[in-house]
Amino acid sequence: MRTNEEWLHDLRENGMAQGNAIADLQGILLRAVLYFFNRNLGDFRGLAREDILQLARDCAQEALISVLNHLPDFRGDSKFTTWAYKFAINTALIAVRHTRWKDVSLDQLFLSEDGAFSKWMIQNISSAVVQDKSVMQGEVCQVIQEVLERDLTDKQRRVLLLIVFNEVPMDEVVHQLQTNRNAIYKMLHVARHKLKSGLEARGFEIGETLALFSSQK
Amino acid sequence: MNRERFTAWLRNIYETQAVEISCTECFDLISRFVELEISGRDVATKLPQVKQHLRNCRACREEYEALRDLIQLEELGDAPSLDDLQSSIR
Repeated sequence: MRTNEEWLHDLRENGMAQGNAIADLQGILLRAVLYFFNRNLGDFRGLAREDILQLARDCAQEALISVLNHLPDFRGDSKFTTWAYKFAINTALIAVRHTRWKDVSLDQLFLSEDGAFSKWMIQNISSAVVQDKSVMQGEVCQVIQEVLERDLTDKQRRVLLLIVFNEVPMDEVVHQLQTNRNAIYKMLHVARHKLKSGLEARGFEIGETLALFSSQK
Repeated sequence: MNRERFTAWLRNIYETQAVEISCTECFDLISRFVELEISGRDVATKLPQVKQHLRNCRACREEYEALRDLIQLEELGDAPSLDDLQSSIR
């Protein structure tokens, strides 16, 4: 078991120490990738065992390159192995979600259509709660609808509907829109901010709004 | 999205901050966050911005949960071996 300092030293060293450290790191990263794959085996439906194992080896290799490229960023505020695992898990998550969603065209998802949000609310949210709250629920839904249509750009609205309502994984949206996680997160942040302002401007405070939708009684 | 998730999303809307950390900043802090949490520290106080990001970002949250669970298993000495993990892929 190496200390953080020993990991850094060996990985930066030339020769046998470096070779051994890289081989050990590769094994550690592959284990983390397979751990994540095992938690998400349903996403690999239809894929042969050997293909899954090969994908795991590819992810571990990609993670190894990321770890080596980011060595100067390691501050030592966690164990080196914990820090390295996150690269493996990140690579594994992107691969798993892409495998599941790669054949789905985001353009075909129904909530991208105009007005589909209202229909969705009626079918999935409003009908699930008791009648005497339905008027106020309707008002909340109306505010959300207005903010979506009036205050968000087309791209912000599309990203919000895809990720929040269609539950498309963020990395798949990133992949298909050829952007990055930070940009998508920022769009969702702006959307939340505008929705918050819209709801508060119409007098809907947090406790009241949550009570409207969270209680069955 | 079911009603439970919709309610969680509404809560996230109300808890939106003017400034929030990005996915890259969350990734940068996550290994420290996980180790602090596993050692019993109050991460909501020490790294509130990470906690808030994880509530809002499903991708980062999934990575965090996997990392936390793996480290927890290692701490308990129960982490599966490479052979076990390879064998369980069918």
